[in-house]
Amino acid sequence: MARVAITGLGCVTACGNSVAEAWPAIREGRSGIAEITGIAEPLKIKIGAQVRNFRPDEHFDPRLLPAYDPFSQYALVAAREAVADSGIDPGAADLNERLAVVTGTGIGGSTTIDASARRVYGEGQTRVHPSTVPRLMPSAATSNITMEFGIRGPAFTVTSACSSSTHAIGEAYWMVRSGRADAAITGGSEALFTYGSLPPWWALRVMDPFSCRPFSKDRQGFVLGEGAAILVLEDLDRAKARGARIYAEILGYGLSSDAHSLLEPSAEGAARALAGAIREAGLGLQDVGYINAHGTGTQANDVNETQAIRQVFGPLAEGLGVSSTKAVHGHALGGTGAIECLVTAKAVADQVMPPTANFTEPDPDCDLDYVTEGPRPKSFRAAATNSFAFGGLNAVLVLGTVA
Amino acid sequence: MDDVQDKIFDIIAKERRLDRASLTRETRLDEVDIQSVDLVEIIFAIEDSFDIDIPQEEDAFKLETMGDIVDGVRRLIAEKEQAAANA
Repeated sequence: MARVAITGLGCVTACGNSVAEAWPAIREGRSGIAEITGIAEPLKIKIGAQVRNFRPDEHFDPRLLPAYDPFSQYALVAAREAVADSGIDPGAADLNERLAVVTGTGIGGSTTIDASARRVYGEGQTRVHPSTVPRLMPSAATSNITMEFGIRGPAFTVTSACSSSTHAIGEAYWMVRSGRADAAITGGSEALFTYGSLPPWWALRVMDPFSCRPFSKDRQGFVLGEGAAILVLEDLDRAKARGARIYAEILGYGLSSDAHSLLEPSAEGAARALAGAIREAGLGLQDVGYINAHGTGTQANDVNETQAIRQVFGPLAEGLGVSSTKAVHGHALGGTGAIECLVTAKAVADQVMPPTANFTEPDPDCDLDYVTEGPRPKSFRAAATNSFAFGGLNAVLVLGTVA
Repeated sequence: MDDVQDKIFDIIAKERRLDRASLTRETRLDEVDIQSVDLVEIIFAIEDSFDIDIPQEEDAFKLETMGDIVDGVRRLIAEKEQAAANA
């Protein structure tokens, strides 16, 4: 079995359109949540973590741009950054067919779906743009990445709601680990700040109208985000041989399903995914010093996740730092697991735990150390990143330092 | 009994497959095993039926008993009619 290194990172988020911009904001807990802009109609949801200052014409050939839904645009820009950061040459003859692309998304081309529905139902048109289908398909971001770099290895898209991109990274990690590929471009993307995409979230009554305050007693729900994060994974020996910078090693990947509810989480299912990832990593519980929580800020998730962590760690839970960075980058749904995996890789590399921002007051049912005071330096061997999706599909990755 | 209460009890009995005759103003939601997921569906059905928006801010709309829902919906209907009269 190969060992798997993370050698490249890229992102487009509400708190910055590059790692150089976004990571300091996340590390310091500077929230990218603000009033929603760019939608003309009146909205019931007033706040979101939207990507800002992203001008597609600065990034894409005007002849190609009509084929890219925003979720593909974010993924492509993040992929360019990650590939450049890693120093790999995706077109090289010895890598080209040995390079995998696996991305995750919850919905796919929401902007395109919405625009097409508006024309057909709203405006009574019978014709829609011919790029509608290739723009909206959830696998479009993966296809566009393969074409951008001329990658000809195994490529597909994973969808599992809020766990999509964690599952994507986990599957890509296993491809490299098992020898099916030598390297992988992986992560996820989501873009659904459109008028037609927002009411379904509001209808679930799980959105906080004021801010995202994970684990706080007065939390009222999550705040929708968007964006993409892409990671370059590589066979560790290959990465070392070419002198690549290695942020972290992926050590374990745990998956489980709750078989419980489409909406309500289960601590038992979450705990099995977390325990499974740590077991695969071959680590002791005491080696895990930090957990980047799913931490949505909903009443149900935050209590459930706290219980799951306690079930797995027992008394060792007291020594853990647990933070949710969603108060900063929002809940980017199918993209969020990748953003948080990127954050966890930086946390491992820099040996620092980013804080849970916007924390107000402790909840007796959420009684872990949520790193609420600001970034905290800590020496730790490994960190976990949790994703627990609607429908009970759980995925956890464990990342460690590379000696 | 009045129209608003009747309609709300109909909706809740139908959504949760409850015996309509067993519901009173004092019936607590937890007594008839209405979980948060069920409540979201009930609220949607009520909003749709009366064409109102039940506020999501904490404490803005009490949801402990059947009577709380009826009173809250009455208040929202009155506010809506007032707004229409002022318009």
